[in-house]
Formats: sequence, C-alpha cells, structure tokens
Amino acid sequence: MKDNRLLSRHFKPISLVAGACAAALALTVTGATSSVAAAKPLVIGVSLSLTGDFADPGNAVKKGYQLWVTHVNAKGGILGRKVTLKIVDDLSSPTQVVTNYTNLITRDKVDLVVGPFSSLLTVPASQVANRYKYAFIESAGGGPKVFAQNLTNLFFVQPGPIVKQGDVFADYILSLPAAQRPKTAAYPSLDDPFAQPVADTVRVRFEKAGITTVYNEIYPAETPDLTPIMAAVAATKPDVIVSGTQSLDAYQQVKALIQLKYNPKFLYMSNGANSPSEFPSKVGAANVNGIFSSGDWFTTSTAPGSQTFVKEYLAKFGGTAALIDNSSAEAYAAGQLIELIAQRTGKIDNATIIKSLHSGTWPTLLGTLSWDKYGVPQSQYLLVQWQNGALKSVFPTAVAQAKPILAKPVWP
Amino acid sequence: MHVLIQGLIMGVLTGGVYALMASGQTLIFGVMKVVNLAQGAFVIASAYLTFSLFTQFGIDPFVSILITTPLMFGIGMLAHWVFLRPLRKEDAVELSILVTFALALLVEGLLSVTYRTTYRSINNTYSNKAFLLGDGFSIPYVRLYGFFISIALLLVLYFVLQKTKFGRAIRATVQNPQSATLLGVDSTRVKAYGFGLGIATSAASGSIFGLLYPFNSGSHYDLISRLLSVVILGGLGSIGGAVFAGILIGVVSSVAAVVWSPTWSEMTFFIVLLLVLLFRPQGMFGRLERGAA
Amino acid sequence: MKLSTEPTKLVTRNGLIRGGVFIALLAALPGIFPQHWLWNLMFFTILYATMAVSWNYIGGFGGYPSLGHAAFFGIGAYTEALFFKTDHVLHSGYEPFFMLPVIGLICALLAIPIGMVAMRTRADVFAIVTITLLFVTQTLAFNLRNLTGGAQGAAVVQPKFDVKFFELPFYYTAAIMLLFAFALSYYYSKSKIGLSLTAIRADEDKAKGVGVRTLQVKVIAFSTSVAFTGMAGATWAFYIGFIYPQFAVDPLITITMVLMTFLGGRATLWGPVLGAVILMPAQQLLAYYVGGSQLYLLAYAAIFLITILLLPRGILPTVTNKRRLKALALKSVAAKASDPLAEGQSA
Repeated sequence: MKDNRLLSRHFKPISLVAGACAAALALTVTGATSSVAAAKPLVIGVSLSLTGDFADPGNAVKKGYQLWVTHVNAKGGILGRKVTLKIVDDLSSPTQVVTNYTNLITRDKVDLVVGPFSSLLTVPASQVANRYKYAFIESAGGGPKVFAQNLTNLFFVQPGPIVKQGDVFADYILSLPAAQRPKTAAYPSLDDPFAQPVADTVRVRFEKAGITTVYNEIYPAETPDLTPIMAAVAATKPDVIVSGTQSLDAYQQVKALIQLKYNPKFLYMSNGANSPSEFPSKVGAANVNGIFSSGDWFTTSTAPGSQTFVKEYLAKFGGTAALIDNSSAEAYAAGQLIELIAQRTGKIDNATIIKSLHSGTWPTLLGTLSWDKYGVPQSQYLLVQWQNGALKSVFPTAVAQAKPILAKPVWP
Repeated sequence: MHVLIQGLIMGVLTGGVYALMASGQTLIFGVMKVVNLAQGAFVIASAYLTFSLFTQFGIDPFVSILITTPLMFGIGMLAHWVFLRPLRKEDAVELSILVTFALALLVEGLLSVTYRTTYRSINNTYSNKAFLLGDGFSIPYVRLYGFFISIALLLVLYFVLQKTKFGRAIRATVQNPQSATLLGVDSTRVKAYGFGLGIATSAASGSIFGLLYPFNSGSHYDLISRLLSVVILGGLGSIGGAVFAGILIGVVSSVAAVVWSPTWSEMTFFIVLLLVLLFRPQGMFGRLERGAA
Repeated sequence: MKLSTEPTKLVTRNGLIRGGVFIALLAALPGIFPQHWLWNLMFFTILYATMAVSWNYIGGFGGYPSLGHAAFFGIGAYTEALFFKTDHVLHSGYEPFFMLPVIGLICALLAIPIGMVAMRTRADVFAIVTITLLFVTQTLAFNLRNLTGGAQGAAVVQPKFDVKFFELPFYYTAAIMLLFAFALSYYYSKSKIGLSLTAIRADEDKAKGVGVRTLQVKVIAFSTSVAFTGMAGATWAFYIGFIYPQFAVDPLITITMVLMTFLGGRATLWGPVLGAVILMPAQQLLAYYVGGSQLYLLAYAAIFLITILLLPRGILPTVTNKRRLKALALKSVAAKASDPLAEGQSA
C-alpha cells in the first residue's frame, strides 16, 4: 500500500559510491553450504532500500520478512528446510538494484527472490528475475507500467493494482442516495506513478456519474509549498477533494487546508492518510477526523494469520498494534504465499511458484488473493476513515469495523 | 481574481523567507567567491535544532532563533577553518563548489544518523492557525511572523554591513580584495567572519522553514536549486538583489501554480533565469566581475 | 605555461604498447572472469569510466566543472527510449547500439548553443548554469508526458540476447565507447586544443590575450564531452530497461563522474579510468555486502573531503610526483657519489 516516494525528484539521496566505505553490519547471512539436499536451507534473496529516504518504510518491509522467517522456522521451516533471508541494500538506485538481483541470482544462487522496496525499482528488478526464470513475488510496485511489461513471473501482493485503490471510495460515494452525493469534485494529485492514477480513475467514474470536475491538476514532487495549489482548490469550493497523494504531500495538503480554513464535505487521500502513526503526528491528532483513505490491512483484521502476525509482531518488536505499518503486513503476506505453495504442492521452486499462483485462490492476511496471467491481483481494497483519532475500515460494509461518518467534521 | 491575490499574498510571505536564506549565500559569494552549496543543508540543520529545542525543552521556535543563530555562526566559522581555508588559491573557486557540496552531504549524513530519515514537523499551538483578511483572504500567523522576522533580520544584516567597522571591512573585500588587503583588512579573518555570518542567517530561516513545512535530512536538495536561482537572479554577491529575487521568485512560483499549472510553475522560473543569464550574465543587480565576457 | 611549445608527437612506441595492452585487457576481461555478476559489474565500471574520461575534457583539462552532464545522460537515455519503444521489433538485436553514434551527435549538437551561452560566464557561474540545465531537463522529462511518459516512466524494448551472454554486448559496447573517449582524451592532451584548454584553466584572460580562441575551444571540449555522456545514458537505458526522470536525469550521475575524475587525477589521461575502476566496484560490492548502514552518507562525504583536501590533484599525479621526486633524489645521490664537486655545482 505504502509507496513512499519521498524523494525529491531533483536529487536522490547520494547513494552510489556511498557504500564505498560504509562500515557496517552485513544484515543476514546465507548458509548455502550444506551438501545434503534435505537439510539445505531455503535462501530467499531480497533487495531493500535500507538507507536514505526510503529507510523507514524499507525497514518496515524488512521487519515483515524477518517476522515471517521466525514464524515459519518455529514450525520447522518449509518442507523441512530452514528458511534464511539474504537482505541487501539497493540505496534507492536502479543501477544498484540490477546489480543486487544479478548478484543474488548468479553469484549467491539464492533459491528464491522477492521484490524490492521501493516500488520505482520494481520494473528493472523484475526483468532480471524474469531473465533467469525466477518467480517474482513483490509487495511494493503495483503501478500500470509494472503490469504493462506482461511478465508472467511477477505477482503483486496487494488486493488490487494501485489504480484500483480509489475504486472503493468511488463505490462508496456512488452507493449514497443522490441527495447525499457531492456535486463538485477537485483532484489535486502528485506527479507520481503510484498516486496520480488513483485520483484519475476516481475522476473518470465520478464524471460518468455526473459529479462535476472543478479542479484537476498535477503538482511535481518537489513542490515545497502546496498552499497556493490548495488555495486554488479551495477557491473552486468543491464538495469532495480526491487527492492522489503519497505521504509528505498528504500532510502538506491537510496543513494548507486548515490554514486556508476550507473544509470539504468529503476528503479522500490515496496514501499518507492511511499511516496509523505518521499521519496524526504530522498534521496534528485533532485534525484527522473524517478523512478517508484506502487500506489493505488493519490491526483487527480477521483474515488468515492476521492475529498471529499482530501477536508475533508485538512480541518481537514491541510497540502497539495501532502502529504496525501495512508494509510489514504485506511483506509477511508474501511469505505466507511461499509457505502455502509448499503446503499445497509439496515442492518449492520457481517453476512451481509461478505455475501455482496463476490459478486458484490464496488466503493471506491481506484477504484472499488471486492473480491474472500478468500478476495483476483480482481483489479489492478497503475504505478506511479516521474516527475519534483512530483509523477504521468503513466500506465495503461486509468487512467494515464502523459506519462511515457522512459529512467531514470541521477543522477544530 | 481572488485566487490570484491569495497566491500573491502567500508568495510574498514565503519569498521573504527565501530572501533571508539566499542573503547568506550571496554574502558568502561576495566575500569569498565561494558558491556555497551547503547553505540549504545548514537551513535544515537549524530546522532540526529548532525541532529538538521545541520537543525537548518546549522552547518556542521563534525564541530558539536567539540560541541557534550564534551556534550556526560558530559552526560556520569552524567549517570555514577546516574545509575552505586549506584550499589552494589557484583552484579555490572550482574546488569550493565540490567542498561545499561534500559539506552538505556531511551535514545530511549527520542529521540522518541523529534524527533518522522520517519527516519531522513542528506543531505548536499556532502552527496551523490563520486569520481572515478583507474578502476572505487567509493569512497564516506563522507565515506572517516568519515574513516579519526575516525582514527584521535582513535589516539587521544591512545595518551590520553598512554601519559597523566589520561591515566596512566586508564590503571593502567584496568590492576589491586586493586593495582591501592593502588598506590593512585581514582578509582571512574577514572571510571566516563572512562565512560565519552567512551561515548564521540559516538559523532563523531554518526555524521558520521547520514551522512551515515537514522536513527530513534530504530536504536541503530542493533548497539548493531554489537558492542558487535566487542568488543568480539577484546577482551573485548582491544582498539587495537576493531580497528582491527571493520575493519575486516566491510570487512568480506561487502565482504560476495557481493560475497556470503547478507542474510548469517551476519551469517559468528557470526560463526567467536563463533569459537573465543570456542578456545580463551578472544578474539583475550584480556588477560585472573580472573575467566575465 | 608552455603556450609557445608545439604539440608533442602523437604516436610514440610506449604509447602504442600501453594502448595495445589496454585494448587487449578490455577484450579479454570477460573471458578471464566468466560470471554474470562480474560481467554486470564490469559493464557499469567501464560505462562510468567512459563518462569520467569524457567529463575530464572540460572539467579537468579546461577547469570548467560541469555539474550538468547528467542532463545529457538523460537526453541520451530518453532518445534511446523514444527510438526503441517496447513494440519495436528488433531483428539482429543490436539495433539500439547502432543508434548510439546518432545519439552522440544529437547531444553534441545540442551542447553547442548551450555551451555558447553557459561559457560566456566564468567557471563558477558555469557550474551553476549547468546545474540549472539539469533541473530544466528533469522538469521537461517530467512534464513532456507525450514524449517521455512523465513520472510514469518510459520502457525501452527488451534486449533479446541469449541469457547465457546477456551482459556481454553491453560490456563490449561500453568498452568500445571507452576506447573512443580515451583516444580523444589522448588526442586532446597532445594537441593544440589540450594546450589551449590548459591555458584557459590557468588564466583565461591571459589565454585570450595571447590569441587562444577560448570560446571555440571550450565549446568543442564541452560538446565532445557530453556526446559520450549521452551515449552512455542510452546504453544504460537499454540495459536497465525502464527509465524514470529522477533516475535518468540524476545529479548523482554527475557527482559520480566528478568524484571519479578527482580521485584518479583530473587533467590526466589515466586518472579518470583509475577513479572509475576503484570507485565503481567498491561502491557496488560494499553496498551489496555491507549496505544498510546510516553511516554511508558520512563515509561518502568523508572520501570526498579527504580527496579534495589531502589529494587535491588526485591519486595519479600525487603518486607520479612522488616517484619523480624519488628518482630525482636518487639521481642526485648517485651524482654526488660519482662526483665530489657536484655539491658545489648543484647549489
């Protein structure tokens, strides 16, 4: 869900060369030495952005994978093989990510690989995996261009492609009686492959349903000040604001709206507003109520393995359940899939994974997942809303924890 | 029309802060002919300091300027002494660009180790408050205070440069380093103080920046391009030019974002910059330097 | 400054031998180390060496530190992506490489007007103008959506090389580019252009005074320099397969070229190659093995500062200087031993 492309587009964290004398810890080691096939550990390679701007979400993904490995090894591993992770750092650079997957596959000859974080690196990484016929289960990159590659080894571990994220909000609004529906809508969006398409999909559906578009602009990632843009939005007095956001810009939009004293009836933000800890700390806990976003997992979920995951997470990393990042759950779900394939087929290798995931349904803590032939997931996201300072799932009704609040409360 | 005026107001208020940031950078160039790419990094460092002072000790971000300013002055002097003074004279200009860039990375690295890379934001009692003026124009308090503090500090800077002996030494060095030395100005000391003073301006602008926007250690990259543009537009070395260009750029980017398109607003601004360089390479208020065509 | 000296002889026996060894080494390396991950590493190293060598024309010899070369890297990458979209049918599979000279030419031509504007000013302003050029290019890459795909990125046609030798065509293309870039660097260092550039770097006003056509020389150096950067960008795009504006037009690319050149020794023939050979594998392997530390930025800044403050001229000139001094010292000792009167003479 979260794809925090926090990077300024002008400069990325200086990373190349950087590793050059990074005195640091190697993360986890492989143990691919044993000669007995049965006892040989199952090594899973992954490249994550553990330094620079992606460091925090990258670390959340790492926690998810580590948690799953501990979980599965406690149960005796996969088909009797102990699972080990080989995590390498890609410094948020496409050059390094290609090197990392080439090294993982051809040098360290890991058994399986899973997708990188961040999502902008998904495409180059998936091509390397495809070249060597490795299955590519990934939880971060679900933009249209990822699927446009028509790779048959790729599987995106979220309920749907990113563009579908906003559908659940459109479904909800269009389910309302005509009198309660908004009449006018504004779409301020970040120029980003994982943000702007969300708002755009909602816009197409709203326009078809007769909701007038009064503002539709894209702003670049490095815009330091969104106040002028939100002033232009506020001037059109939209009933609903549908924002294609990532994280930083979501905080800025909210701050600007408060300062401009403009309170729309509905405010939906594709990302950023669905972070249980970051969002209230950035915009002020009193200001979050009534804001909608999309999610794929929440702490009280009853999906398979969810509560075990929460329990294990708290036991291993501490903190409170409300602060668990979705990225950790998504990474854990990728692990669940590997476990499930081994259970169902009695085998674990890349060809089996690719063949298995192309058919059938797969219960994970993100709900039951299935994929088309290019790895597009076929389920639905959840609509979440901030109520009394907590993030609640509110739609579709079948999985809702609470009823949606209709008109957004005014800014305090 | 309403939007345009609202954009204009925001632009002027923001531009004042950019003017303060850029004044330090242009001063440094004037005194030492150093293009200081680390100016933005020091602004962010100050924002973090303000953040810490606020969250740890509850010191109001505006009050903390009194603490951060002398601190940044000291850091600036130290940075000059360690990194810039040793450069060989014949390629000092060329190397200083790289040294200050490396300095920016050093500051960024220290900040990411100390504070990690999560975005921070300073939320105090008035950070989101605003009042409405006239026909419903919103004026956020933080921006208004920030603007007036920037202008006040720019006036202080002006006073220091115009009325004190130290200021006269700096101005003499800016105008003609050789004759300043002949007149008994200790150029190494002037350079050190000049660099310190330039970095000191980042303290206040950092506090204001931290109140206005969420930031992390990498936020300084965007500032590099913005500040450079302000400095070139105003004319390298001209503080008055930097103030004018800072406000101009605040207004242009804000208005363009509102009435035209946010994605192209930055472009308009680079186009202005390129035109200026084409027809007035010395900037709007700069003097032609030796060696320029 | 030896402005009056005639350019030195272009081809010498030693030079031929060194060149031959260099070519043989480049050709034989993949055979000596026949592993994919090493080929991948060699490809990136040689690609960056090409860029460092060509950056050195203007940044090293001429003393005009361009911070905007990444703009041309991006232009090269996007031109390649435009010519070879995903639906392009490849026949031999090598067509994207055959386009490289054209891309180089496009970049070189683009650089002429840009250079003529940017290099009217002094070196420090030039650095700023080129950085601005980089931002403009990146903004264009984001905003010209019909052409570049904007923030959504652009896909390049998939290479159809056999997976067994996948990296080799890229490696050899990069190696050929490096040889051309190096040959040109050699030519500059031995010709009047090189002398003029050195003169400009030392004192541009004086150079102009003695009749060096400064603008012309600077523009030639800049334009040939970015031609190679553009071709490198195009090769990179074909290899990576998918480009985003923030990665194709990335200041980091320039910074890497600059650091390689400074580390090895700017304004020298072999310095940039040495810098690339040290820095690229070090960075890639250390990121792979010991990445994941927040300390990496500090480490990076430290290498940078140490290189500039302690080895301001780079490794190569420092080493050769020491050797020369040592040789001189030995010679004088020998002279003293053989001739007791030498002391008086040398004093």
